[in-house]
Parts: sequence; structure tokens; C-alpha cells
Amino acid sequence: MRNLTTSTILGLTLTFLIGPFIIIIFAGASAGETLAFPPDGLSLKWYLKVFTIESFRESFLLSLFLAIFGTVTALLLGVPAAYALNRYDLPGAETIRTVVAAPIIVPGIIVGLALLRYLVVPLDFTVTMALFMAHTALVLPYAVRVVSSSLNNLRADMEEAAVLLGCTRMQAFTKVVLPNIRGGVLAAFILGFVTSFNQVPVSLFLSGPGVKTLPIDMLAYMEITYDPSVAALSALLAFMSLSIVFVAERLLGFSRYV
Amino acid sequence: MFFDTREGLALALPAAIFALLLFIAPVGILLSEAFQSDNGWTLQGYIDFFAKPLNRTVFLRTLKLGILVAGTAAVIGYAAAFCIVNLSASARGRVFGLVVLPLMISPVARTYAWIVILGRTGIVNDTIVGLGLSDTPIRLLFTETAVFLGLLQLFMPLMIISLVSAMENIPRDVIPAARVLGANWFQVFFKVILPLTKEGLVVGGTLVFTGALTAYITPAILGGSKVLMLETLLYQRVNVANDFVSASVIAMILIVMSFSANLLLKRIATARK
Repeated sequence: MRNLTTSTILGLTLTFLIGPFIIIIFAGASAGETLAFPPDGLSLKWYLKVFTIESFRESFLLSLFLAIFGTVTALLLGVPAAYALNRYDLPGAETIRTVVAAPIIVPGIIVGLALLRYLVVPLDFTVTMALFMAHTALVLPYAVRVVSSSLNNLRADMEEAAVLLGCTRMQAFTKVVLPNIRGGVLAAFILGFVTSFNQVPVSLFLSGPGVKTLPIDMLAYMEITYDPSVAALSALLAFMSLSIVFVAERLLGFSRYV
Repeated sequence: MFFDTREGLALALPAAIFALLLFIAPVGILLSEAFQSDNGWTLQGYIDFFAKPLNRTVFLRTLKLGILVAGTAAVIGYAAAFCIVNLSASARGRVFGLVVLPLMISPVARTYAWIVILGRTGIVNDTIVGLGLSDTPIRLLFTETAVFLGLLQLFMPLMIISLVSAMENIPRDVIPAARVLGANWFQVFFKVILPLTKEGLVVGGTLVFTGALTAYITPAILGGSKVLMLETLLYQRVNVANDFVSASVIAMILIVMSFSANLLLKRIATARK
């Protein structure tokens, strides 16, 4: 009886959470011309068509660029910050922590609008530059938080020992600290990459003619056409995210860090 | 001294300055915009905003959907989390993985699925027409129900994750002990489980509520201009009317709502201690 109740509750919850995703995979594999489930026959034509749509190719590359370079920049800023906040007794540490974590609290759409109004328009930033800044800021809180939690588990006297044994401070960091927090840094990169790649609200106002991130491009495409290509593309992107997470989980037990 | 303060500041400040200049400053200016007029400081932007019936409707709808989504996620979340915690270790890992999985998938993809489900020729309408319950398809998209379902599906994993980690910390024998001593399941939940997991509920509740308030994609795709929420209203005001004062007011409302939700839930959690 207990077992039956448990499986019913979990079964229904998981159907609700995962079901739509399975529907998307099949709706994209339709042989028909319009979006439907069950699909009118199966074919891979929409999955193939996605690759021939010029604007999807361009926006995919832009999203990839933003996700990779935005996250790397966020890590270049975030790793030293996390290290300093963990190891040093800083005046105003709490303020620094709040400032660095702020991008997670403010709704993305407001960030995008604010950057457009006060950076792009008056200071002549290019839209791509502003998007890059916004995505970096967005990922920064994750970088600091994930790297901090991995630094917490590393005892500070190891670096002191390395310095006493003749390392410079920089060597102590690169030879002792960095190899020990490698997993955390990678986890932060993946989390940042997925967050940035799937991000919509921040990019909403910042996308201009010809400069669109992939999710924005998909939203725009959906408004004109009702064919199954967006479903196919959604399924492909989901597979991409899942494989990244899956590989990460296998390699370093990603979920420990999130 | 080994960890020199100046050195520490040099490491931490680039990130802080970046966030301050490129993030906090622009957002701060945007928020202050509604308070400025030609003759100094004013609240006129806020008065005008709430004077329009449409804006009031959208504000109340956003609040209502946020509360409904967070509340429903909590009810389902408790049931699901309780089941997950009582599974065997290997099954628990697998089910938990399936709960986390949707979080990695693009919200555009996850919301798009609801069009296939709720559309005029979607599964639900095919079933309704097929069973003869109605002659013509019912409008399910662009309703509050559609937005509610989309938001619930999007944010429920966050609630389940928070509640599972809270429940894992309940000592094993507490619930059987309460049962032996004569508590019914209703009492077990309100007197034992709820007090011991309220921190998880606060975290999950805040995440789901603020997530629902500030979601853009779901109300945009499933609600359209028929079911506007604050985020979609903001986008419309700026794009259609270049109305930055309303945008600034909505931005402030969203931030204040998120913060107050967090404070309120924390208050409730500590009050019962």
C-alpha cells in the first residue's frame, strides 16, 4: 500500500516534469507540416532543417560565444574574489559579497534594459559588447559561490606550508590551491555555461537587428511560423545541455558542487 | 602577516567593481528614474502607474500566480520529497536526477511543449473533442491556467530539491516515534515534519515565488497579450510606448516583491521556533 502510494505520487510528479520534454522530441520528429502530438508520421526532416536555417546558425554561434567567453571572464574575476573572501580578513567583506551576488537577485529583464539605456545608448557600446558584459555579470554570482564552497573544504595551512617550503605566493596558488579546487571551477564553468546559454530576459532588450541570441531567435521564429522546427531545435539543445551535464557528472561528480 | 589585507582587496575588488559599474549603477539609475521629474523628486510615476486599471490587474495577477505556483509547488513538493527521501539509496539518486534534469533544459524548450499540449490541435483538445465533450476545441492557450501550468513545471524542481535536502536532515526515528506516541499523519506533518523542514520551505518558496514573478518566457509564450504579467507588461511598455517611467516602476515592484517574499517567509519560519 505504502509502495503503491509512493510510486503513484512520484510517477505523476515525474510525468509532469519530464513528460513535456518527451512530447517535444516526438513533435519535432513529425513528418507533417504543422506542430502536432502525436506527430503525423515520423521523419527526421525538421531535425535536419534546423541546420539549414541561416539565422539559427548565426544566433547559435553568438550564444556559444557569450556562454564560453562570458563564463571564462566571470571565472577570471570570480576565482580571485572567492579566494580573497575566503582567506583574507577583508574590511567590508560582507558588502563585497552582496555586490558580487547582486546580479542573481535583480530580474534579468531589468538588467538588460538598464544596460541598454545607460551603456549602449550613451556610451556607444556595441550590442555584442553589452551582451557580453551582461552575461558575464549574470554568471559572476555562480562562479563566486561554487568556487567559494570548494575553497571552504580546502585547509589554508596547505598554502602556508607550500610557502614555507619555498614556493612564491603565486606558485602556492597555482600548484596547491588550483589543482584542489579544479572540480569546483569546472562545475562553475558548466553551471555558468548552461545558465548563460539558456538566458532570455537579459538578452531581450539587448538584441538588435542581426544580433540575437539563440533563445531570442527561437522566440521570434515561433511568432511567425508554427512548424515543428523549433520543437526539433529545442530537443537538440536539450540533448546538448544534458550531455554536457552527464559528462561532467561522470568525470567529476558535478552534482556535489551545485 | 601571511594574508595581507591589501593583497586580498586587490584580488576581490576587480569583481566587485565590475558588478558595481556594469550592474548595480545602471540598475540603480533605472530605478531612480521613476522618482525624478522636472521639479525635483516625485512619486507621480507610481501614482499614475497604479491609477490605470490594467496595471492594477496585471500587478494582482502576478502576485496571485506567484502565490498559487509557490503554494502548489510546496504541496506537491512535500509529497514528492517525502517519497524520495524514503526510497532506497540507489533509487533516490536516480529519481533525484530526473527531478534536477529539467533545470538544465532551456526554458524556451520546456515552455514550447505546452503549446503542443494545450494548443487548438493539441493533446488535450484532441481528447476533449474525441470523447465528444465539446464539438469545437476549447481555448486553453493564452489563459491564466496555461501560464500557471507552465510556471509550475518550470520551478517545481527548485522546491523539491530544497525540501529533499531539508528532509534528509530529519533524524530517522522522529516520525515513527511520533506515530507510536499516537499522532495521526496530519499531526505528524504539522507538528514534526513542517517545523523541522521550514528552512527548506523558506528557500524553496523564495526561489519558486521570485522565479514565477520574474519569468518572462512562460507568460510571453503561454499568456501572450491576453494574460500579461509584470515582466511582459514591462517589455510591452518599453517596446510599444517607449514608456521608461512605467518600466522603472515595474522594476522596483519586482525587486521589492522578491525581497519582501524572502523576508516574510523568514519571519514566518523563525516566529514558530
